[in-house]
Amino acid sequence: MMTKQVRYEALVKALHGDLYRYAYWLCHEKQVAEDLVQETFLRAWRALDSLKDEKAAKSWLITILRRENARRFERKRFEMSEYEEATITDTQAISNEQNIENDWLREKISQLPPEYSEPLVLQVLGGFSGEDIASMLNLNKNTVMTRLFRARNQLKEALEAKPENRKQGGL
Amino acid sequence: MDDLQFRRAILADPKSAEPNNAEQKHQNADLLAALQADPAKKQFAQELNQLDEKIKQALNIPVPEGLTEKLILRQTLASHQIQKRKTRVHLALAASVAILGGLLFNFMQFSSAYSNLGDYALAHVYHEQTSFANNSKNRVTLTSLNQKMAAFDGNFSDSLGELIFADYCRFDGMKSLHLVFQGKTSPVTVFVVPKNDQLSFSTEFNDKNLYGESLAFKHSNVIVVADENESLQQWQQNISNNIAWTI
Repeated sequence: MMTKQVRYEALVKALHGDLYRYAYWLCHEKQVAEDLVQETFLRAWRALDSLKDEKAAKSWLITILRRENARRFERKRFEMSEYEEATITDTQAISNEQNIENDWLREKISQLPPEYSEPLVLQVLGGFSGEDIASMLNLNKNTVMTRLFRARNQLKEALEAKPENRKQGGL
Repeated sequence: MDDLQFRRAILADPKSAEPNNAEQKHQNADLLAALQADPAKKQFAQELNQLDEKIKQALNIPVPEGLTEKLILRQTLASHQIQKRKTRVHLALAASVAILGGLLFNFMQFSSAYSNLGDYALAHVYHEQTSFANNSKNRVTLTSLNQKMAAFDGNFSDSLGELIFADYCRFDGMKSLHLVFQGKTSPVTVFVVPKNDQLSFSTEFNDKNLYGESLAFKHSNVIVVADENESLQQWQQNISNNIAWTI
């Protein structure tokens, strides 16, 4: 009993940040992301005995979270495309040069099609390899690499086009 | 490796251009060679790494304060509820076991291990055999015997013989009267037992050493157990002649 508790708390402390960020980039809403993380960890707690390899914990949790997210859409299919404003405005409270840049990039990332942004988040934030991502998303590795390439390419192009955009008052 | 391939590889994974990416080193040999050969490619890889750094910073949104505590709290509450459910189950189990235990105890206590009067009477006599000697000087008077018989609404008009012992006892859980008379060679035991459905009536019974006969009266059975030297018929005759039931 105690050791399970200790394991769980260690898991929460080590991975709740990564998981929350991943959830956020999946659903683009802070509250929903938090709920997803809560639901995920609750399920993880119940199934903790099935986690044998601690190194696999992160991808295990991400798999649970993806399933939870999918379940969310089974429950209600609407409420999809209204995230843009919320995403941008609520992170703009403290503004300096770096933050403005970040916010701009965040907007661009959230405008990426989800099939592009998800592998990108997993790769950059989660530190997963192409193979890992492929197995987590049930895709083959080439597809994943192509999507990563397109995701970065779009961001790079957007970034290169940015100065003009700014002069026009931003997109 | 041509330029397009190179750009695709770098864009798909800028880290693959890092020389110390040990895991995929052999796959990256081409890439690294191309990188070293062409400064423009090196430049491109560096830009992409910078872009990735920016992406990483952008993705690195702040985590809500106290999320850890919330997660632990929710789990604690959830497992507390499971605990409570478990205790309820345990309690129910314990109660079931207690009830079963009670039933079993009742069954053992009040059900008979013997199916008929004879078996039980023999067992009873053997059990108390050592307590009574045929030459015992103890005598019980007819008066005190009849006082006890009153509980069975019965009365002896005359003494049946030398009464060594007379007292109530439990005859298979029923209050009954246990009489021991002096016999020819060994004591003769007489039971006065209220009628009961649990034990089937057996008129005559015996084993290697002892013989018994039962006599059924209206409310009670009278059982005589003695060795082969006694005439059980005589005893039964005496009892029938002497006993009087008030009801």
